[in-house]
Amino acid sequence: MEASVPHAPPTFEQLMLPHLDAAYNLARWLLRDPHDAEDAVQDAFLRAHGAFGRFRGTEGRAWLLTIVRNVCYTRLRERSRGPEAVAFQDEVHGLGDDPAEANAVAWHEVKSALLQAALERLPAEYREVIVLHEIEGLPYREIAGLAGIPIGTVMSRLARGRARLQAELLALAAQPPSP
Amino acid sequence: MTCDSIRPLLEAHADGELDLVRQLEVEAHLAACPACAAAASALAARRAALRGALPRFPAPEALRGRVLSGLGAVTPAPAAKVVRFPVWTPAALAAALAAAALLGFSWGSHRSRSDARFAEAFGDHARSLQAGHLVDVVSTDQHTVKPWFMGKLDFSPPVLDLASSGFPLAGGRLERIDGRAAAALVFHRRLHVVNLLIWPADAGRATTREERANGFNAASWSQGGLNFLAVSEIPMADLETFAAAYRAQAR
Repeated sequence: MEASVPHAPPTFEQLMLPHLDAAYNLARWLLRDPHDAEDAVQDAFLRAHGAFGRFRGTEGRAWLLTIVRNVCYTRLRERSRGPEAVAFQDEVHGLGDDPAEANAVAWHEVKSALLQAALERLPAEYREVIVLHEIEGLPYREIAGLAGIPIGTVMSRLARGRARLQAELLALAAQPPSP
Repeated sequence: MTCDSIRPLLEAHADGELDLVRQLEVEAHLAACPACAAAASALAARRAALRGALPRFPAPEALRGRVLSGLGAVTPAPAAKVVRFPVWTPAALAAALAAAALLGFSWGSHRSRSDARFAEAFGDHARSLQAGHLVDVVSTDQHTVKPWFMGKLDFSPPVLDLASSGFPLAGGRLERIDGRAAAALVFHRRLHVVNLLIWPADAGRATTREERANGFNAASWSQGGLNFLAVSEIPMADLETFAAAYRAQAR
């Protein structure tokens, strides 16, 4: 008798390890520190592994990134001092997000390092939607599920986040380069 | 459409996140309005710059090792059975695009009239017509669709093929309604789509009703301890035919 298992369920490693880069990238951007990001990712994988029996979906990446995000926010709260300690409210940021203002920057000339510095200055809630959408290429719907916010909020956070990013870029460009 | 109503959509337009109808409206406006067209091209340049210049940090090789050895130290949990299917068939895509084009629908605009479940169902139906979420399991075979739900739901939805009544099964996906997981079965009616949501019924609540909103029709009923809610853009009379055929076969 041949004992074959034609449809063995995929293992945790098979489903989740392909998303290690996405997990690290999100943690690296949220925590803004490579060592913290490594610790957070390891922590998130352990938690995900422990909870894997309850994983029912087909979207391993979104599931893993949700856990990474939670771990990162816990760490940000534990840091306690710093801008993230202030509760984030979408409404209080009265920043204009008129799309016509997007031409205030010569985008094709923007250097990667400057853009990175500008993005790191945004609140985590704006940073994450930009990272998830622009770098990881996640659609609005997946970001909404991951962050637990409505699709409309994803849309407005992206719009405001990009406008804010642009304002930070202009502010950075106006400063003399640090020695 | 006016500039004021177009401007808030430009960002989602640049991201390719608008439904087909809105997409076409925005493009028609941009062709006629130089100011909005300039704003749109500035947004596109910004988007390209962000995509091209923002670094993606790859995980350090040592982290992979750390994660693996960390996992090795604990007993692996049993995995839920996960089956991956291609999300789209050309036929399903064509059907959804055709339906979206006929509808003139945009999400978020039909909350007021019907109760929460119907509102959710209309929303589910509308979202399902947007690219990428009509079906998670593509199959015209009820014996493929039914097992797909196993392990994903705590109940077993009756999966029927109503091809003989003019509603061939196209596939299924997971939805949420009433704050809990529901099965969504997708049927075709010529170029239209019928979404049938199925979830366990609350005790003592067997209701049959019909609702209309924004060109969508919905019919709900309870049978065998489950709630059924069919939603579609097809005429109410056709939806009643569908509901009657389903109830008869499920019996």
